Formats: sequence, structure tokens, C-alpha cells
Amino acid sequence: MKQIKHSLLALVVTTGCLMSCQKDNWLNPQLTTAISDATAFDTRDRVAQQINGLYASVKSGLYLGSRYIVYNDIRGEDYNNLRTNGVTGLQTWNHTLVASTNEVANVWGAAYSAINQANVFLEGMAGKGNTVVGSALAANYNGEARFIRAMCYYDLLQLYARPYWDGNGSKPGLPLRLKANKSSGDNDLVRSTVQQVYDQILQDLDFAEQNLPASYADALTSTTRVHKNTAIALKVRVNLSMRRYAQAITEANKIVPTAAPFRAATGVAHELQANIRTVFTTFTTTESIFSLPFTANNLPGTQNSLCFYFGPAPAGGSEYPLISTGILGRPEFRADDKRRTDLLVTSTGNTWVNKYPTGPVNTDYAPIIRYSEVLLSLAEAIARTTSGVDARALALLNAVHVRSQPTAFTAAGFANNQAFIDAILMERRIEFMGEGRRSPDLLRLGLPIPGKANVPTISTTQAEYIWPIPDGEILNNKLMTQN
Amino acid sequence: MRKLFLCLLFLAIGTAQTFAQVRTVTGKVTDEKGAGLSGVTVTAVGRDAKALTNNDGNFSIQVNDQVKTVRFTYVGYESVDVSIAGKSTIDVSMNASNAGLDEVVVVGYTTQKKREATGSIVSVKGSAIANMPVQSFEASLAGRAAGVQITVPNGVLNNPPVFRVRGTNSINLSSQPLIIIDGVPSFQGDVSQNSAANNPLASINPNDIESIDILKDASAAAIYGSRAANGVVMITTKRGKSGAAKVSYDVTLGQTEAYGLWDVLNAEQYMTIKNEGLTNAGITNQKFNPSLDANGKMIDTRWIDYVYRKGFQQTHTLSISGGSAQTKYFMSAGYTNQEGMLIANDFDRKTLRMNVDHNPNKVIGLGATFNYSNEFNKAPNTGSLPGQAFATAGLGRIPLITAPNVGPYNNDGSYNVNSSGLIGVMNNQTGQVGFYNPVPIVALNKFSSENNRINSNLYMTVKPLSWITLKTQYGIDYLNTDNQTFLTPVHGDGFPRGGATSTLAKYRRWVWTNTANFDQKIGDDHTFNLLVGNEQQRTISDGFGLTRQDISDPFYSDIQGGWLTPNPAGLFRGENYFLSNFAQFRYDFRKKYFVSASARRDEYSAFGPGNKQGDFWGASAAWDVTRENFWASAGIDKIFSSFKLRGSYGTVGNIAGIGDFVSLSLYGSGLYGALGTLGFSQAGNANLKWETSKKTDIGLNFGILNDKVTFDVTYYNNDIDGLILGVPQAPSRGIPGNSINDNVGTMFNRGFEFTVNATPIRTKEFTWNTNFNLTTNDNEVTSLVPGGAQEFTTGTAGLEVASITRVGAPIGSLFVVQTAGVNPENGRRIFVNKAGRQIQYTHVVATGQSRWTYLDGTTAPAVSGADAILFGRSTPKYFGGWDNTFRYKNFDLNVMLTYQAGFFVYNGTKAGLRDNRFWNSSTEVMTRWLKPGDKTEIPRVVFGDNVSNGSAFAQSQNVEKGDFMKLRNLTLGYTLPADLVQKAKISNVRAYISGQNLAILTNYTGPDPEVSTNGAGNTNQGIDRNSVANARTILFGLRIDF
Repeated sequence: MKQIKHSLLALVVTTGCLMSCQKDNWLNPQLTTAISDATAFDTRDRVAQQINGLYASVKSGLYLGSRYIVYNDIRGEDYNNLRTNGVTGLQTWNHTLVASTNEVANVWGAAYSAINQANVFLEGMAGKGNTVVGSALAANYNGEARFIRAMCYYDLLQLYARPYWDGNGSKPGLPLRLKANKSSGDNDLVRSTVQQVYDQILQDLDFAEQNLPASYADALTSTTRVHKNTAIALKVRVNLSMRRYAQAITEANKIVPTAAPFRAATGVAHELQANIRTVFTTFTTTESIFSLPFTANNLPGTQNSLCFYFGPAPAGGSEYPLISTGILGRPEFRADDKRRTDLLVTSTGNTWVNKYPTGPVNTDYAPIIRYSEVLLSLAEAIARTTSGVDARALALLNAVHVRSQPTAFTAAGFANNQAFIDAILMERRIEFMGEGRRSPDLLRLGLPIPGKANVPTISTTQAEYIWPIPDGEILNNKLMTQN
Repeated sequence: MRKLFLCLLFLAIGTAQTFAQVRTVTGKVTDEKGAGLSGVTVTAVGRDAKALTNNDGNFSIQVNDQVKTVRFTYVGYESVDVSIAGKSTIDVSMNASNAGLDEVVVVGYTTQKKREATGSIVSVKGSAIANMPVQSFEASLAGRAAGVQITVPNGVLNNPPVFRVRGTNSINLSSQPLIIIDGVPSFQGDVSQNSAANNPLASINPNDIESIDILKDASAAAIYGSRAANGVVMITTKRGKSGAAKVSYDVTLGQTEAYGLWDVLNAEQYMTIKNEGLTNAGITNQKFNPSLDANGKMIDTRWIDYVYRKGFQQTHTLSISGGSAQTKYFMSAGYTNQEGMLIANDFDRKTLRMNVDHNPNKVIGLGATFNYSNEFNKAPNTGSLPGQAFATAGLGRIPLITAPNVGPYNNDGSYNVNSSGLIGVMNNQTGQVGFYNPVPIVALNKFSSENNRINSNLYMTVKPLSWITLKTQYGIDYLNTDNQTFLTPVHGDGFPRGGATSTLAKYRRWVWTNTANFDQKIGDDHTFNLLVGNEQQRTISDGFGLTRQDISDPFYSDIQGGWLTPNPAGLFRGENYFLSNFAQFRYDFRKKYFVSASARRDEYSAFGPGNKQGDFWGASAAWDVTRENFWASAGIDKIFSSFKLRGSYGTVGNIAGIGDFVSLSLYGSGLYGALGTLGFSQAGNANLKWETSKKTDIGLNFGILNDKVTFDVTYYNNDIDGLILGVPQAPSRGIPGNSINDNVGTMFNRGFEFTVNATPIRTKEFTWNTNFNLTTNDNEVTSLVPGGAQEFTTGTAGLEVASITRVGAPIGSLFVVQTAGVNPENGRRIFVNKAGRQIQYTHVVATGQSRWTYLDGTTAPAVSGADAILFGRSTPKYFGGWDNTFRYKNFDLNVMLTYQAGFFVYNGTKAGLRDNRFWNSSTEVMTRWLKPGDKTEIPRVVFGDNVSNGSAFAQSQNVEKGDFMKLRNLTLGYTLPADLVQKAKISNVRAYISGQNLAILTNYTGPDPEVSTNGAGNTNQGIDRNSVANARTILFGLRIDF
């Protein structure tokens, strides 16, 4: 018995010793499924993955992955709402958003989350990452982060602030967060003016243009990560929104030659595809300046895909078909237009945008900037800064138009400069159906948002012309003001 | 399975029969006054023979040579052991016991006589909760102990009950008590990852439980330090006693069904109301028309019949216990199979237990506890678990709102479904008449959550001196949960692609406890007890799984079949570790003055460096006044047979539900297309600490009439500070989740507990024991985030807000827009906006007119959720139970009533049942407004109106008082006469019938005000939104002791 006692005692003591050595490890466990903020910039691979992470954050289904694009389209006059579902954009469609509506908080949150990811990244690079990856790569990476920050601010301005033309940028813009936020505090930050935010955007984009690589090794990367020409293309968009047409022309000219064939001379050789349908079947053509990828392993998620909103069941969610009073019924949108014949589909009595047909596994890329936008923006900028029908602007318009509809516009066909500009704008509306350009265009042009079905027209002075600031921001940022 | 039991049964009977009988002992049992006591159990110690006294108190028992002692036991009396050496006749006098005060209670790592306990501890005997038609033991605790509130959320099997000890004691963390099974803290909550609720406390066969001790105040609970703020529940399982093998077999067979289901419109009424609504809305291109079935009859579907059923259930427990002086054992095997009141909702459990204690000598003790269990939970999407309330597949809502004028099948026998994935409209001229057809989704979708669990421990005690006990115990709790989901591509949530998800979650925990207990008496006056101990607990959890979509052939019905996409699911990994030292000191002077103090230092891995350690303590004192000389000399003892004052104070903590790595700032991984990503994913707070509860407890126990009636009155106060709240960050800061946890809020719970135990009647043939308890609870949130919002709302299933937590008000109060009936002039619903103005609504108006008008017809601003007011508390202010046991000769009758009062329930289901879209309605809608002057609660029906009823935002028309009293349990038993069964070599046979939830007294108009759509959520209690009803169960049971 005594022996048993002794050996048991020995066992207990030995086990006790072994365990006490472990105690410190157990009390301070190392998480093996996530990386500590202390070591996130320790290797080149980690920094490279953070770059991917920045793109992933803007690709959120609440933001550029689908919903931001959807909201900007359905605010316009071209869609009907079939589902009357409050969580799939009903209140955006009928302009009844309030500060507590989900999408008002979600888009704001997703874009600012991406902004903070960029800021956290920039801070980490300055602290350690630049040294880890070397100066050449560091410049590229910092350029990418600042491009993403600029894009987020630009996108937020399009919904949450008055357009630039209203008071020449003097209206309240956004809280300009440029520092990394990783802990509590610092909630209160006043809104910068629209002008100040645009200034920051252009500053970031200039930096990006200088520091980004001209291109990447393969078409996939050149489409899904930003390069010099992406920064230029976004600057065209930004300047157009600010109605700074001369600057828009300057930027566009960097990647658009003076005469056809229109193909970017430097960097990625952007050009139009012969058939527009190609852009939505082969996602990495040179026409797609910037797109966000989806794969079967990396899906947009429930109610978060472009197909879900624009496509009919069973692939899509049968949410938003085109409405007959919108673009669908416009004579300019001709019956033989390839964008009608190839990019629309009819199902259960409705006509749907069919740019994102892949479903129910939604692997269609989300298009962010296409070369045709640069061409039409340039055409418009030229048209607005010249009189009559400028030959180059007409050539640019026709480049986009003729590939889908054989009847080219002629200078003689336009009564005056305004008619020409109207044709360019109509071309944009047709060309970018389902790509989220409609609401930003209406707003930058200072046009009312036309009504549809039983939804009334929203005049440029109505509060509903832009979105409200979400409750959460007003509540927690004491310096924030409501729109 | 059943065969196995029969085999065991025969084996057991065979064993019992090998003992032969030798002689007969007879005698008479009397009470203090000499009157014969009938029904006294007479047991031959060391043998299994038993007998009962007859009406005159006489008995006769057969014993063999080995039996030296006979024991007499009787409810309400102190048991007596009498030696029978050389005697064949013995007469015994029994004394009434002091109402259970000599019982022993578990006080953490030791036990104590209840009479001497200074802390607030309440005990429930295992026998009180055995053989109930529940899945886990705590569901049977309602009303049985003061301070303990149990709310069964609804009738979904194994949905964890809301378990509160003295109110809701946290805002963001769990408010459920710590549950310790034989020394090992158990996994708690719903561990399922799909629609099949899975409460791991169901792993314990309630029939294996010896006792449940609930430590309520800081003094009692402080020994569990950082986890004690919500109270501690100690489960002790049965152990063997010396004596011949005692074999018991318990069986129950039962039937369960829903009660209180809503009355909804039939097809005819439905079409009347909806077509009237269309007319009133001016809609001419839609119409609700009858459809005919294959026999040419009009379809009139009672959807409830396709969702609810009468479920059959059976439970078997076979136990064998006994042992020698040195070695004792208790073994049991349990099997239960319960069909729920919902079709496809089943619970199946198999348990095996073996508890062994071995004392080779006076110094050494060894023992083990082993429990294996397998539980298979299966359920459809009931829409009744937290977060599911608005699920379109939820069976709480589907049978209520689907049009009754369409059927589940087309006349060709195919499912009535359309190509948009909704139920087909048949002859109705309208777009939609329901969400899903429940028949195919219940038949084809599958959800299950299966546990395999081993809960075991091994211990050794050494008593080097008679007053020193050293104990070491190592326990494990390994729980593997296998979750399976299959969604058919035919219809419902899986339409049109199909989907399957399988996940495995593994939870592994070990606990190693070392204690030294010193028990000393100095003279007759001073009794000391000191316990010191050390405990380590480590828990590792990890999970992984697969989710697949796009079935390649509708033939497949498992995840292993043909699918197009594979994606990961249920990935998680965590670990945490407690390192604790604790001590408890008790002292009493002549059993008159008692003091006790406990302290525990916990170190916990989840907190940041420098904040891992916390100190918790509690102290208490008691005074047994009856032992004072003046008591008797003043003659007060003639009135009070016992009188004890006690008080305690202490501080304990709460961390239940906190993340394992909450203090760390982290970068998480993901995908960007085909590439790996890394991004800032968690803003940790390295300064985070436990929530702290400071608890005060003042109590008085006294008895009158020789303790035939005892009272316990207790005042409790719990001031909680450092509540962990997510401090909201301005969304523009872009912090993941827009909040960072911090210790900021404060709240209190206070109230009284009253308990009365009495034996009003005790005659030879008839006894009545009764226990009544009442608890009051005042709860108030006293602060939230400093400088931040002083209130926040909480949604139900992320969609509807009807709950608010506001400084100065009870946690999770109801938050609704006030309504003021229906305007008799025009049939419009009247609302009261924030400014106090009455505003009426009509859904369809002529162009240019406003839907919202003041009662004088002028245009008014729209009323919305922003006009909501704090309506009232959602948790009961009063609750308790009344338990009565009557015995008449061989009959016994138990009547258990439970009640809750002083709270409101938001009956959101009613909002849906008054909705004027295609939704079917409750029959009250037939009393709608039709013409000026009509006084009714139901407005004029206008098709499409989802505002006047409360669908668009929560309204006070759907808030009701929740007060109820329930006949929770009624059991009538009959014990077969001893002389009869003993001829069959059986010592005892009792047969009984039992009913659960047989009656309910309430004004609540939903199925049952005891409901919680949001489960155990703290800040959204008292919500009844699209949940299934509760179940009523009738059982037949039989217990045989061999």
C-alpha cells in the first residue's frame, strides 16, 4: 500500500512539474489562425497579402463587389423593383432612405473600413514594411493603397455629399480620415468640404500615378490590381465629376491617342474589344482597366452579387428588371444595338440586364473602370470645351457606338453642341447599364433624378438627391453634421 | 436497443434472485405520540429487502443472516437504524425531522450541513426532476427554487432554456449561471451550427442526478471567482451505497402535442378578407379565387396539420448500484427517444454512466466518474431559434400566414411550387400567396446536430490525519458535435441549387483540482474548517467543415453526393486556460455563531498582460438565535422552533461568452480571387477585465410549529460594474465591427425571495407537503458608455427592433410605437407619435393626399419606428412556484404550479397575423371595421397594408401582459402494495401518469407567454415573434426496484 501511495505521489509531483512549465504558455496562448499586429509587416509575403487584402476590402458585397454599383444604377430611372424587399435596395430605388436604413450605414461602413485598411497599411509600411519589401516594391504598394483610399473617398462623395458644382466644392464633404485607426478614441472629426476631399483624392491619385507600375506580368493581375493607367482613368472620372474638363482631357490624353485606333500607348495597352459582349465573358481583356474578381471559392455571397440584382431567376434574384419608361423604351437605344441584342435577356415578361449571367454561382467580375468610359469621358470633356461637333470627340463617341450599333453618328446629324453632348450622355447611359454610372452622372450633371413607376422625380434641391449620413456616424462623431 | 435493456433486466433479476431469505422480523412503528405510522419504508441494510408499514404501523420484513440492521425511513421524519441482532420483534418510535435542515448541501469543493450554511444556497433533489418530458435537467427547475427563473423559449426540442439566477446580470456577456457537473464546468449554450437546437446539458440523463445545488450569493459562489456572477449550479450525480446490488428500471411512454395554437382564417374567410382588401385598395387586376382539389372540392388547407403532430416519446433508465464497505458503484444506462410536436423534430439520447468509489482503508480513497452520451438532435427550420424569427422557411410562421385556399400538392400529385421558388398560387390571380410550401421543405431538407461526449473524472483522497483530507481530481469533458444540413434543390432555401453543409466542432476540456481540507474541533465550542486549493482548467476548441452548392443531380441527398462547389465552413479554433488558487474558511461557535469567508484568485488567458489576474471574495455570518439562552427563557421558542439570521457580502466576476483572444489586435486572412489576403481584422483591448458583481445578501430562516412550517426570507442586491460593452466607434474610423470592447457599464438587480416549506397535513394515511416560493426582481441599467449614447436598441433576428436598453430602465425593455385603437369613423389605425399627437393611417389614398393625417383630416408627418417609446419591462418582476405532494395510502399526487408576473411580451406573431398583404390572418380579423360607427380593434382591411398591423415597425397594439400561472406538472402515482410485489421478488413498483403544461392561466392571446424568440439574449427578452408554440406532454411511467 505504501508503495502505491509513494508512486502515486511521485506521479502527481511529476505531472505537476510538467504542467507548471506549461502554465505560462497556456496563459499566453499564441493564436495560430490569425496574425498579430506586431508581426503583420515582418515578411514580404505578408505585405503582399495585405495588398490583396486592400482590394478584398473594396470588393465587399456591400460596396464595389455589387451593392454600391447596384444602388447607383437603381437610383436612376431605368429599373423597376419587383420584390419590394427592404433589404435589397427598395428604399434606394424609391428614394425613401433615412439615416437608419441598412444600406446607408453599410456602404458608408464598407468604404470607410477600406479607407482604414489603406491607412493602417500605409502606417505599417512607413514603420516597417517599406524596409522589408525594398523601395521599388514599396513605392508600388504605397501607390496602390493611396489609389484605393482615393477611390473610396470619391465613391463616398457621390452618395453622401452634394455634387461639386453645388457651391463649387464648398458644401460639407466627408470626415477626411488619413491616419490609421487601431484602438479606441478619436471619434470626433469634422467634415471637410467637398473641395478638400477632392483635393486629397487628386493628391492620392497623382502619387499613385507616379508610383504604380506601368503594368503587371499577366492580364489577370493587370485587370485586378491598379497600375499607372488605372490611376489616370480614375482621374478622368474625378475631374469630370468636378467639371474640370481641361484637366480631364489632359489626363485622358495620357492614355488615348488623338486619332483612332484608340489604344493606350503606354502601360497596359487598353483598347475596346470588337464585341462588347467579350468584356463580360472574358473578364481580363485590355478594355477592363480595373475589375474585381470572383471565383467559385471566393463568391460575392447571398444577395451580394450583381447577378442577383440584375438577373432573373434562377441565376439571379429577379430583383430589378429594366422598366419600359427608362432606357429600354428610348429610341436612341436601337433594336439592333448589340447592347440590346447581346446584353439583355427577357424572362417572365421582363427584360433584364444580362451583363452578369453567371449564376447561381456568381463568378462574374465586378467592372469598376472600362476603357470605353475613358473614351466617352474624353469625348464629353472635349465637347464641353469646344463648340459645335468636335471631330475627335465624334470619333471617340463613334468608337464606342459603332462597335455595338453600325450606324455611326455624323457631325451633320447634330443640331448643335448640346445635341452632341446629349448623344454622348445617352451613349454612356446605354453603354454602362448595370455598371453603376447612372446616379453619379445625373448628380455631376445637376440633373433631377427622373421618376419611375410610382416613384416621383427628385429635384436637385431635394434632400433625397443625396443620401443621408448614417445614424451611427452622427451619434458617435460629435462633430459630424447631417446632410 | 430495447433488446439490450431486456437482457440487462434479466441479468439483474437473476442476480437479485441468488440471495436467499432466512427469517422474518416484525414490529410496529409509531410517531412521537405513540400513534402508528403507516407507509414507513423498512429496509434491511446491506440487503435489498424492503417493506412498508400497514395502516396501524405494523410491518413484517424478511431478512437473512447478513443483515444486522434495519432502517426506517419516512418523509418528514428522521430516519432510524435499529440493530436486529437476536431480535425478531422491534418497535420503533420516529421523530419528525426539521424540514430538511439536516440535509447536506454542496458548497463548491466541499459539502456542508444545510443547517450550518451561511451563504444563500438552494437545493433541488434529483428525484424532483427525474422522469420529466424534457431534454435537459434545467428545463425542469422552473418554480422549484427561489431566485431561479427558467423560461422554456418554445416547443423546439432541446432549445436551451433561459436560466437566470436573481435576474439578468450581464448586458453583452452570458447571464446564464455556471454549471458544474461532478466538479467539471460543463459546456453550455446551443452548440449546434444549424437549425437543430443542441443544448449540451442534455448529455446528462436527469435520472442520474442525485442533487442540484444552486449557489446564489457572493459568499457561496465566490469559490468560483471570476465565473460566479450569474450564480453557480452544482450537479452531483448518483453514487453507490453499500449493500446488495440494487437494480432499478424506469420507463416512461408519452405523447406530446402543441397547445394554444392560433386560429387562422379558413379558405372562405381568407378570400373574403383579401378580396375586400383588394376592393378597398382599389386594386382590380388581382383576385383571390377558390381552387378545387382532385375530387372537385374547394381546397381549404389547415397548414398547421402539415407542420405539427402528436409526437411519441419513450425513456428508459436502468441503474444498478450497491457495493461493499470498501467499494461502491452506481451504473446506469439510459435511452430516450422523443418526437417533438413539430414534424421532423426529434431528440434521441443514449447515456452510459459508471460511478465508482473505493476506500481500501481509512486513509486512501479512490474513485471515478464516467459518463458517455450520444445525443442526436434533428429539427426542421423552426424559425424559433435566436436569429431565425424572420426566416422564410421558419415553421413558426409558415403555417400561420400561408393562404388556406391553396394546397400542398397539385392535383397531379406534384408539390405545389412555382419557378420562383415560392408556393404556387393555384387559381388566385395574384403574385404570391405564401413563402415556401412547408410540405416539401419539411420532407426533403435535413438538419441535425449530433453530440458524442465523454464527461469523466478520476479522484484520490488521502487522509493522513483524521482531520485532514487531501484530494486530487482530474476531470475531462470532451464534446464532439457533428452538424449536418441538407437543403433540397426542389423548393425552399436550397432552391434551385441545393446546398449541403457539414461541420464538426470539437471541444476538449480538462480540469485538475487539488484541495486540502482541514476540519478541527476545539472542545465542544469551536469548529473550524479550512479548505485551500488549486485548480487548472484548459479548454481547446476547433472546428472545420464543408459547404457545397449546386447539386449535380437531384438524386443526391448528402454532402458526399455530387456537387459543383466546395467551400470551407465552420472553421474556428480557440483555447483558454484558467489558473486558480482558492481558500475557504468556516468557523462556528457552539453552532450559534457562524462565519465563513472564501477567496479565489483566477488568472485567465484571454486577457492582456497585466490584466489576467483577478481576486474575488465573499464573506458571510449567521446567528442561530434559538441557541441563545434568552430565546427559551423569554418563551419565544414556543412560537419559533428555529430562527437563523444570516448575511453576506462579496465580489465575483463574469466572463462567460468572452472571446479567447479578445485582448489581441489581429490580422485575418481571406481571398481576393484566387490570391490569399491579410487584413486588419480585430482591434483588441489589452486592458479588458472581468465584469464585477458586488453582491449583498441578508436572510432570515425560521420555523414554527416544531418546524412543520419553515420560512426563508432573503433580500439580495447585486451591483454590477465594469460591464463589458462594445464601445461604439464612429463608423468613419473604419474599425472592424465599429466597436471595441471595454469595461464601462453598470447595472443592479435587487429583490426579495420568500420560501415556505410546510407539511400542513400528516395523518396516518394522508400527508400533504408543500413548498411555495416567490422571488421579486428589480433591474435597472445605471450607466452605459460614458459620453456615449445612454441607450441602445436590440433587434429581433436583425430585422425588427422592439427592445431598448436605456440608463434608468430595466435591461431590454420593450420599445414600441404607441397605438390608440381604430378610429370608429373611418376604420383607420390611430398612432401616437413622439410629440404625443394622434395620427391615423390609411394605406391607399388618392393622388396628392397623405396616408398620414391628424384626426381632423389634416396632413400629419409619417409615424415610424423613430416614434417608439419605452413601454415596459420584458423580464418578470415576480416569479416562483408552488409544489405540492399529496400521499394517500399507496397513492401519491404531485401538483407543480409555476408563475411569472409583472412583465410584458411583445406578441410580434400577432402583427403578422393582422398583416394585409397576401398573409393569412387570425380569425379576429373577421371583426374588422366595416362601416362608420364600428368599434373594433381591427382596422378597415386594405390590401398591401403592412403598417396598420405592426409589420413595418413594432407597435403597442401587439404588446400584452405576460403574467401567467401554469400547471407545469401533475403526477399521479400508485405504489403497488409491498407484500404483493415482494412475492414477485421485486422490492418496489410504482406506476404513474404525468402531465406537463396541462393548463395555463393567462390573458395572453398568443400560444404561451412563457416564450423567448431570442433565446437567452439579455437585451431582447420578452419577444414572441414567429416562434412555434409550446408543447403539452402526457406520460405514463413505471419504476421497478428489484
